[in-house]
Amino acid sequence: MKGIVKQFPGVLAVDHVDFELYPKEIHALLGENGAGKTTLMNVLYGVYRADEGQILINGKEVKIRNAVDAQSNGIGMVHQHFSLIPVFTVKENLSIGLRTGGFRLNLNQIKSKIEEAERNYGIEIDLDKKVQQLSVGEQQRVEILKLLFRGASTLILDEPTSSLTPQEVANLFKSLRALQSEGKTIIIITHKLYEVLDIADRVTVLRKGKVVFKSMKEGLTSQVLTEAMIGRGVELSNYNREKVSSGNSLVVEGLSVRGDRNDEVVTGASLEVRAGEILGIAGVSGNGQKELVESIFGLRKSKGGRIKINGHDITNLGVKGRIKVGLGYIPEERKTRGAAVSLPLTLNSVMHDHWGQPYLTRGAFNYKAIRKFAGEIISGFKVAAKDENVPARDLSGGNLQKFIVGREMIRNSSFLMSVNPTSGLDVGATEYVRNELVAYRNKGGGVLLVSEDLDELLALSDRIVVMYRGKTSKPVEQKDFDRLKIGAMMLGEGFSH
Amino acid sequence: MNSLVSILLLLLPTVVLGMVPRAAPIFAAALGEDVDQSAGTLNLGVEGMMLLGTIIGFVIDFETGDFVLAFIVAGLASALLALFHGIATISLKADQVTSGTAIWFIGWGLSGFIYSSLFGKASSPPVVKTIPTLYIPHLTDIPYIGKFLFGQDPVVYALLITFLAVQYFLFHTKAGLNLRTVGEDPLVAEIMGVNPDLYRYLALIFGGFMAGVGGAYITLSLVGSFYFDMTAGMGFIAVALVYFGKWNPVRVLIGSLVFGAVYVLYLALETYFPATPYQFFSMFPYIATMILIILVGARAHAPAALALPYIKEG
Repeated sequence: MKGIVKQFPGVLAVDHVDFELYPKEIHALLGENGAGKTTLMNVLYGVYRADEGQILINGKEVKIRNAVDAQSNGIGMVHQHFSLIPVFTVKENLSIGLRTGGFRLNLNQIKSKIEEAERNYGIEIDLDKKVQQLSVGEQQRVEILKLLFRGASTLILDEPTSSLTPQEVANLFKSLRALQSEGKTIIIITHKLYEVLDIADRVTVLRKGKVVFKSMKEGLTSQVLTEAMIGRGVELSNYNREKVSSGNSLVVEGLSVRGDRNDEVVTGASLEVRAGEILGIAGVSGNGQKELVESIFGLRKSKGGRIKINGHDITNLGVKGRIKVGLGYIPEERKTRGAAVSLPLTLNSVMHDHWGQPYLTRGAFNYKAIRKFAGEIISGFKVAAKDENVPARDLSGGNLQKFIVGREMIRNSSFLMSVNPTSGLDVGATEYVRNELVAYRNKGGGVLLVSEDLDELLALSDRIVVMYRGKTSKPVEQKDFDRLKIGAMMLGEGFSH
Repeated sequence: MNSLVSILLLLLPTVVLGMVPRAAPIFAAALGEDVDQSAGTLNLGVEGMMLLGTIIGFVIDFETGDFVLAFIVAGLASALLALFHGIATISLKADQVTSGTAIWFIGWGLSGFIYSSLFGKASSPPVVKTIPTLYIPHLTDIPYIGKFLFGQDPVVYALLITFLAVQYFLFHTKAGLNLRTVGEDPLVAEIMGVNPDLYRYLALIFGGFMAGVGGAYITLSLVGSFYFDMTAGMGFIAVALVYFGKWNPVRVLIGSLVFGAVYVLYLALETYFPATPYQFFSMFPYIATMILIILVGARAHAPAALALPYIKEG
């Protein structure tokens, strides 16, 4: 790819990028979120059209106007959000858009062909299952299989490890090496250094839409890559924790909650968040963490058990009542639950407080007070926003998260629940949010931190509770933190079956 | 109470025989809507398209006496209306609910306008001969089931064949899989080399055609003349039946037959209870539809991209 430029309204996403790919290599495209990696690859895959530049394959210029063009040039891409239909079976998903073999959909004929591809590449998948019944790792294999089935010789994988367990990552890397030895070329888009060092042969680093570094892997260190990626050396901070204690606490006793399918997904969960501590909840996603938090906040009815804040029973209060008692919530879904993205920051700032003084006077919004409050959040939490009147959707993910974190912290909450607070954020915003959570704790607030990122939990938590199949473990004290031990608990060790 | 039960028992043969033609127009429209929605396009204009079908079918049959031609032209006229809905919602990305509602009123206005311009000065309302039912010696004469199986009108049999074809198309052909993919996720379809807009247009045109046929059936087979607003909300019931049917033509057929049965029952009860204003009974089919929808509940999986315009980035 030569001199590729892609402009979006207001952003130059890819700025004169040259990118070379050699046959049979595993090439890592490294960069922070928003560096333009995915955009560049979407240009190669025909999802976007470049404003400038050309794509050459074996020295010949090719026009790639859409994904079909890319596929006919042997290029296939697995996006972070899979291009699969969840309600269709694997077979059906692999058959979409097939042009060969007549009018009739002969799934059995296709099946034998797919099984042949499975054997060749050592990928195993139950073809008759619906995609929604598969784990993320399995869905990823379906995606890869789909591309191979369509004759892809170059595979682009966008953040392929982002929602895989360590075991699944190992499996994926094994398959990728097998594919490489079969003669396939692979591009991995990533922001994780260890992946580059682990599997890549060559690396290209993007920063703010420009190529800043290219090298073979030999002799590279994570230090060099970090500096290339961020543009400065960063020290991952040691979070400075002070001893605080006030005796207040958020207590959950024997809580049971039904999930979306009406089955009991939280079964007798108990935990205590003390004022002045961060209690981490570890667990593979889908073990009831989401429902637990939603139930504590009042978004989901509990079937049994009690929830208390500072001794007050809040089990039967609505969401509004719980907010008034001092509960705050930073949901994982920033754009759909954390903020009403089409509303301005002013109104978003008072989402939890708009029903009374000073923001509501005689039944009408007091915009002066609201603007002041929104302004406080913006300046206090370093939110990059033009002013407090822009709609929330204009903020980048990191800035929106800072804004939401700020809102929940400045309003007088005493306990805060936060779910995957740094997912999808760049290094800078991640550090910022983590530091703010610790600062909140140091001021005497209690934080219930649910995260799929075990390293984040180990770095921030005072104690960690593991959730497995809706049950909670006894808390693990900080002095006993052990990556492997908590990892084992996440897989069910120590839980009665 | 006893007398009501005995009336219902007495009415059973009437209901069973009568439900098929009463179900036919709504089933035609619902079958089209099923295909439509499977491709992700919500067509709320069915009511308007049916209304256009009632008048166009009537006019063509009145002028030519050829009911086959009448059905085809009625279907094409409504397909044209569907094409407008398509241009607005598929190409120009307009909101499907709003556009569909507009289409309803356009069809409503057109049907009245056409009738008034052509027959407005007629002293007595014009009529056409309703289409004849099939009679196969011996077979049709079989007691109980003969008339039910072999005594319907030809359009009913044509609908049955269309139904089988649609069922086969949706679930046993590549194009059917592609169409359902467009309804689930047009972006995925496009990445897999399927043109989402093309599929949505074709589905919409088919849906419009079927709505027109359904409308024409009311004038040409059930009534034999035209009056204003004669679909009485059946287009909307058709949309509801697609939800009841969970986007599966077999269940849509069952839902349509239930509607047809309750409809016949209402017509019959009306004569048994002349003291009760007939409007009371005329609510029955619609209440029945509501109960059906409640029974399905929120658990049905709708095509994930239903009613969402497909807007490409970059």
